[in-house]
Amino acid sequence: MTRAALLLAFLVTAWPAAGQVVAIIHAKAFPIAPRDAIDDATLVFEGGQIVSLTAQGAPPPGAQIIDAGGRIVTPGLMNGATQLGLGEVSGASDTQDQAVTTGPLGAAFDVHYALNANSALLSVARADGLTRAMSYPAGAATAPFSGAGALIRLSAGQEILERPRAAVFAEVGDNTLAKAGGSRAAQWVLLRNALTEARHYAEAPKSQGPRDQLLARPDVEALGAVVSGAIPLAITAERQSDIREAISLARDFHIRVVILGGSEAWTEGAALAAAHIPVVLDPEANLPQTFDKLGARLDNAALLAKDGVAIAFSVSGNGIYLSYNAGLDLREGAGLAAANGLPYLDALEALTKRPAEIWGLGDHYGRLAPGYDADIVIWDGDPLEPASAPTAVFVRGERAPLGTRQTRLRDRYAPAHAADPVPPSYR
Amino acid sequence: MIVGASAYAGHAAAKREAPPREQPPWLRDAFPSTYRPLPRSDTLITHATILDGAGHRIEDGEIFLRDGKVAGVGRGLAASAGAVRIDAHGRWVTPGLIDIHSHDGTYVEPLTTEDENSNDISELSDPNAAGTWIETAVNPQDPGFTRALAGGVTALQVLPGSNPIFGGRSVVLKPIPAPTVQQMKFPDAPQGLKMACGENPKSEDVEKNRGPTSRQGEIAFIRKAFADAEQYREDWRAYLAGKDDKPPKDDLNLDTLVAVLEGRIAVHMHCYRSDEMAIMLDLSHELGFRIAAFHHAVEGYKIAPLLVRNGVCAAVWSDWWGFKMEALDGIRENAAFIDAAGGCVTMHSDSPQLGQFLSIEAGKAAAAGRRAGLSLPPEHVIAWVTSNPAKALGLDGRIGSLEAGKDADLVVWSADPFSVYAHADLVFIDGALAYDRADRSRQPSSDFELDRAPMTPE
Repeated sequence: MTRAALLLAFLVTAWPAAGQVVAIIHAKAFPIAPRDAIDDATLVFEGGQIVSLTAQGAPPPGAQIIDAGGRIVTPGLMNGATQLGLGEVSGASDTQDQAVTTGPLGAAFDVHYALNANSALLSVARADGLTRAMSYPAGAATAPFSGAGALIRLSAGQEILERPRAAVFAEVGDNTLAKAGGSRAAQWVLLRNALTEARHYAEAPKSQGPRDQLLARPDVEALGAVVSGAIPLAITAERQSDIREAISLARDFHIRVVILGGSEAWTEGAALAAAHIPVVLDPEANLPQTFDKLGARLDNAALLAKDGVAIAFSVSGNGIYLSYNAGLDLREGAGLAAANGLPYLDALEALTKRPAEIWGLGDHYGRLAPGYDADIVIWDGDPLEPASAPTAVFVRGERAPLGTRQTRLRDRYAPAHAADPVPPSYR
Repeated sequence: MIVGASAYAGHAAAKREAPPREQPPWLRDAFPSTYRPLPRSDTLITHATILDGAGHRIEDGEIFLRDGKVAGVGRGLAASAGAVRIDAHGRWVTPGLIDIHSHDGTYVEPLTTEDENSNDISELSDPNAAGTWIETAVNPQDPGFTRALAGGVTALQVLPGSNPIFGGRSVVLKPIPAPTVQQMKFPDAPQGLKMACGENPKSEDVEKNRGPTSRQGEIAFIRKAFADAEQYREDWRAYLAGKDDKPPKDDLNLDTLVAVLEGRIAVHMHCYRSDEMAIMLDLSHELGFRIAAFHHAVEGYKIAPLLVRNGVCAAVWSDWWGFKMEALDGIRENAAFIDAAGGCVTMHSDSPQLGQFLSIEAGKAAAAGRRAGLSLPPEHVIAWVTSNPAKALGLDGRIGSLEAGKDADLVVWSADPFSVYAHADLVFIDGALAYDRADRSRQPSSDFELDRAPMTPE
């Protein structure tokens, strides 16, 4: 293990060096839990983990000092649902891995095999302060399941997989009616049947009984962790009736359910809170885009938080923000939620601690607290203002580069070069 | 036989009279505006931070609205005794926002499978839909209009989509829903012609097995269409000059293209790549049409001086990129770099979602520019969503800035309008209060939204 760590230290040119103690001083730090900001804080981390966060604390001797100059410091942000690492150009299907459209795979579709750490989308999101994300499947051929999502961290280098199969995703409602034969009633019947079959399979996996089940073996196996309660079933559902059905499903099968989307979730806030069902919502979704979303509104987040529902964010923006601007628009969405009644600290939680808890990372990521991963962002302004940007991003203690394809293009075509006789391609 | 002959003669006579020789068909406004401003009072707004859209910032300023026009901007204004007074202490006032690229009313809310099968965003039967007028499709009850109004938009240009090469004529509307589109139509606003280059038209044509399937095919198609239009114009000139007894057969597509050649309709050109924009500029000089703005123009920053030399505006997003090959090189400094070259930049929505947040779009784009070292004060950046789009629409003499004599279209913001926390508190159109965030009776809703649980809370 020591040898491996040494090898890593040689191979990885990231800064700070492994084992280096770093202290960020004069920070306005938001620890998230406890909630209140600490002015003039000193945040110490070493070996990828946070050591301490104290008001006006003295940095340890020998520590590398970073003076935040009073700037806001938060945990690295987490996007509640993206397709980061699964696609490059959405218009070019050969660059896309987030969905299977034909073939037998349903719940067993497992996106983590496709994760591409070299995707240009990752560096853009990281430069906007995103250090963690759920990367989830956009769809599968077997209704109503989409497959298993993977948790990623936005480290530089190839090691971006945090945990495969962190949740199984399903989708009900108007977007996928056709795949279930044309009715959402069929979607719920299929979903319930699948969970029943998974439960039977878990009880007697080697049974050679009559083959009267709808699901193929890989799909029932994939649902084992859902029926055992090890991982949640994330259900994309927008309409109030579907939110209610999801609550019933969780109760009837004793499984953990997460609502994704939830345009009308605000109508069932109390019931969701009582059932401990979190909602990963799009805080910018306020338009009646379909009949399933007639009740979409900008204070969905505020109303749910008031009812005690755990919320996290995923911003779609016609699908463009989901992955192409997965960091920037996550913050803009959180800002809009705050502008429409969500308390500021709740908005910050929904960008950090809440998604960590919802997807099962809450024990080591999402707070500025001793023992937690040193995912840290220093901001040049209010992180909920999309006009702000990070000045430094650390992922598990490693300072991440903030350069992207976009900053290279920016530098190549900067107005200062206007009179340059040499074409930009030489710069 | 006799009856038939006389009927034919009568038909021919009627045909010759209408259109009369004084007016060729491309000049007709087939659907005149019947817009009437809402009831209004003279209004004095005081103690506001004013960004006037003409480059000025006035602290603790006043603005006086009289008879639907801006009567004065500054301090110590003399207002009429009966004027309504609004204390805007701590709040900001800007011109009403103008969305130069909207699909409200055609890319409707909600969108259903009926729209999947056939929608009103574009006419897709032919790559040349120049003869279509988008106003003949706009559903005034689309909730997108009221949402845009609540976001501070006071005028928007509805454009056809980008799948045809010639998409058709645009219309400028005021986002106040009415039973007919004519009642929303901005009086005497110039029409535009939507054209498109690049991926969208050619992929649609491959799918439909109809027109050009390549970029080079698109350009050749445009050349051919304008050559036909030149011939059509010659035929009409001959007829109008009395050299020819029979008027040319009306051709709606060519009518529009001749109006473009005559400079009565400017082109709004959907293009992403810098090379495509440069080709289109050369083409516009060769064929004699004027491009008012490149829309999307994600690579505008690569050819900013060229855009400036040609006097063409760029209607851009703040940060959309990557979703197709021609959008790969989008950068957040796009607007700021074009602006820095002296160009006319305007933010555009293209979607009902963004159409509610144009000032935030401008705020994001300006922030990227500032980080790249450019000086972009708010009083300058506000032009990107007010006076610049007004210029691109040919409406800068009437809207886009708060100057005496201009239409009293303005927004009172709860805070710095470029902040994510800002709300449009009050929206005035032609001096009338069209939206009040604090008063439900001053918040128009579309018919669709009535009794539509759970849309209405409380």
